Amino acid sequence: MSPQVEFKGYALIDPSKWSDLKLVTFQPKNFQPEDVEIAITHCGVCGSDLHTLSQGWGEPKLPIVVGHEIIGKVTRVGDKVSGFKPGDRAGVGAQIGSCMKCRACKSDYENYCPSEIETYNGEYPDGIITQGGYSTAIRAHERFVFPIPDEIESAHAASMLCAGLTVFSPLKTYGAGPGKKVGIVGVGGLGHYAVLFAKAMGAEVYAFTHDTSKIEDIREMGAHHVIDVNIKDFAKPFSHTLDIILATRDSYEPDTPLSDYLSMLWVHGKFITVGIPNVNNPLPQLHPFAFAGNGCLVGGSHVGSKKECLEMLELARSKNVRPWIETLPMKQAKHALENLNANRVRYRYVLTQDIN
Amino acid sequence: MSELEFKGYALTDPAAWNEFSLVSYPPKTFLADDVELAITHCGICGSDVHTLTQGWGGLSHLPLVVGHEIIGIVKRVGANVSEFKPGDRVGVGAQIASCMECKRCKSGNENYCMKMIDTYNDVYPDGVITQGGYSTAIRAHQQFVFHIPEAIASKDAATMLCAGLTVFSPLLRNDAGPGKKVGVIGIGGLGHYAVLFAKALGAEVYAFTHSPSKLDDAKKMGADHVISTHDDDFYKAYDGELDILISTIDVFRPDRPLKVYLSMLGVHGKFINVGLPDHNNPLPPMHAFDLQPNGAFIGGSHIGSKTECLEMLRVAAERGVKPWIEELPMSQAKVAIEAVRSGKVRYRYVLTQDIAPVQ
Repeated sequence: MSPQVEFKGYALIDPSKWSDLKLVTFQPKNFQPEDVEIAITHCGVCGSDLHTLSQGWGEPKLPIVVGHEIIGKVTRVGDKVSGFKPGDRAGVGAQIGSCMKCRACKSDYENYCPSEIETYNGEYPDGIITQGGYSTAIRAHERFVFPIPDEIESAHAASMLCAGLTVFSPLKTYGAGPGKKVGIVGVGGLGHYAVLFAKAMGAEVYAFTHDTSKIEDIREMGAHHVIDVNIKDFAKPFSHTLDIILATRDSYEPDTPLSDYLSMLWVHGKFITVGIPNVNNPLPQLHPFAFAGNGCLVGGSHVGSKKECLEMLELARSKNVRPWIETLPMKQAKHALENLNANRVRYRYVLTQDIN
Repeated sequence: MSELEFKGYALTDPAAWNEFSLVSYPPKTFLADDVELAITHCGICGSDVHTLTQGWGGLSHLPLVVGHEIIGIVKRVGANVSEFKPGDRVGVGAQIASCMECKRCKSGNENYCMKMIDTYNDVYPDGVITQGGYSTAIRAHQQFVFHIPEAIASKDAATMLCAGLTVFSPLLRNDAGPGKKVGVIGIGGLGHYAVLFAKALGAEVYAFTHSPSKLDDAKKMGADHVISTHDDDFYKAYDGELDILISTIDVFRPDRPLKVYLSMLGVHGKFINVGLPDHNNPLPPMHAFDLQPNGAFIGGSHIGSKTECLEMLRVAAERGVKPWIEELPMSQAKVAIEAVRSGKVRYRYVLTQDIAPVQ
């Protein structure tokens, strides 16, 4: 048997210093026959990491190692694993477990399983806390492990596994493609992937941003239309135009013009929010009148299924979709997190594992 | 040919929302696509209350005749009309015109046309105010006139044209039928139709009401499950259960956040609001987190198309769908409308026209 993999990661210990992460050893998942063990090489920095560490989503279980955009090399597989062998390059995203038995799990909706387990800050039935990818290694049920196409290098694949999938799933589910007009609100980590993927899927892309310094970049990413939302009545020219709006904003003001965004939807068009603000930051108030003019819908979406992840990776491979990333060694996670908090990243940080 | 007179019970003083005076008014200018009908019946809709009380906004067109659940007999048709002839029994609902040219109009979505005209309290391009059905007669573009099947009595058909259609359209568009679980919140005029039609379409129906007196009625209407919303935990037993939830709630309780309702939906389930509260009564608060566990949707719907209206009437005739109504002569509109406003009607009022006889 290959030498034992050690499980060490950069963890939050003291919640009053949310971005100071200390190296700890932690207990991994108890290895099961369906499990794949991975020695981590890369991990993307997700808004979820920020919301969790800063306690905007509530108090996490401490100590906590975050990170759920993980790439590495398979070191061990359980007896029941058929899709992987040691040496394979594989990834893990934001979900690490589900019940496998319910209607959702059986219909490729494992991301909606009522018993789903998050890759970090979750808990296995045997009481082990799930620890994330700012670390040396992870174990995951095969259903939540994804083979990475040879053509996509690890630093690029990493952030596809949460940011990419989280936007790809609703784009795919709600028919983004030729003839469809897709609006994307907020062009950050998730938003830039939404532009890249919607374009690759053949849709006409309308990108909405408040940050004028991003306009050139967004055009280069392939958006057909780039709209500055600071302009008065920005939504009027697009009334009843868009089939889908994907909103990646992770904060709202009470006067954020949500009904203006809804007015841009075609009949029964869908506004899907994938950005999740802090717990004390609800959506702006809506009146039923906002829905009457076009019978529109407001919905959410939660990561994606393995089926969708594999489709996304194939799309990225065949259409040469690559994210705009900045890389840093994992020990500099603090710097990455603080820049993310200040919206300074262009457009995703990826940490390279530097512990062993 | 004797000219039809256009007279109706109108609001003249906005400070007295429930007082009606009989007035004459100029009808729509008759055009080649129009159908003119002598009204026999008109249902009372929540829209009438919201309009008269100015809950939906100030009134600028006075005097105003409300009413948009209209049944009558065709008296005259324009040169372009071949679908109808004098003597036909027809209905008109909550919409009276649309542009007929846009992408929406051309795709069976005239109820979402950006230039749509409401049956009352709206204005035609030539300046004529649209006046509703608490009256002797109305003129409408043929697209907004519907044949009433013989099997459906006029008093029963009337309220199908707004209340019925307003719930039938989202039920149809969201595939309510065998194998589907449809929830209906609020068992009033619209809600009771949602129970009746969801059942007629073959769905399993869950009726939610805060009125203990309505629980038995909802069962008689065909609901498979009836649930009182009094108990603050009422929704817990239905976690992830429903495919569609039609909400006819007209006054939202701010202490019941939307996630209470959203949690009852299955994956990608839809909460469809057909109730339109007063302007100062928005939806309860919602957090993006609330939409995550099931990727559910909250949406709206506005009346329905002609195609859907005719399908609804066909289903009603075939399955014997009959609303639960109370009737009164039109001159007693005041009594009826006060009962609607205070939630006392079981489950819709229909006014019989008593201003001028219809031959």
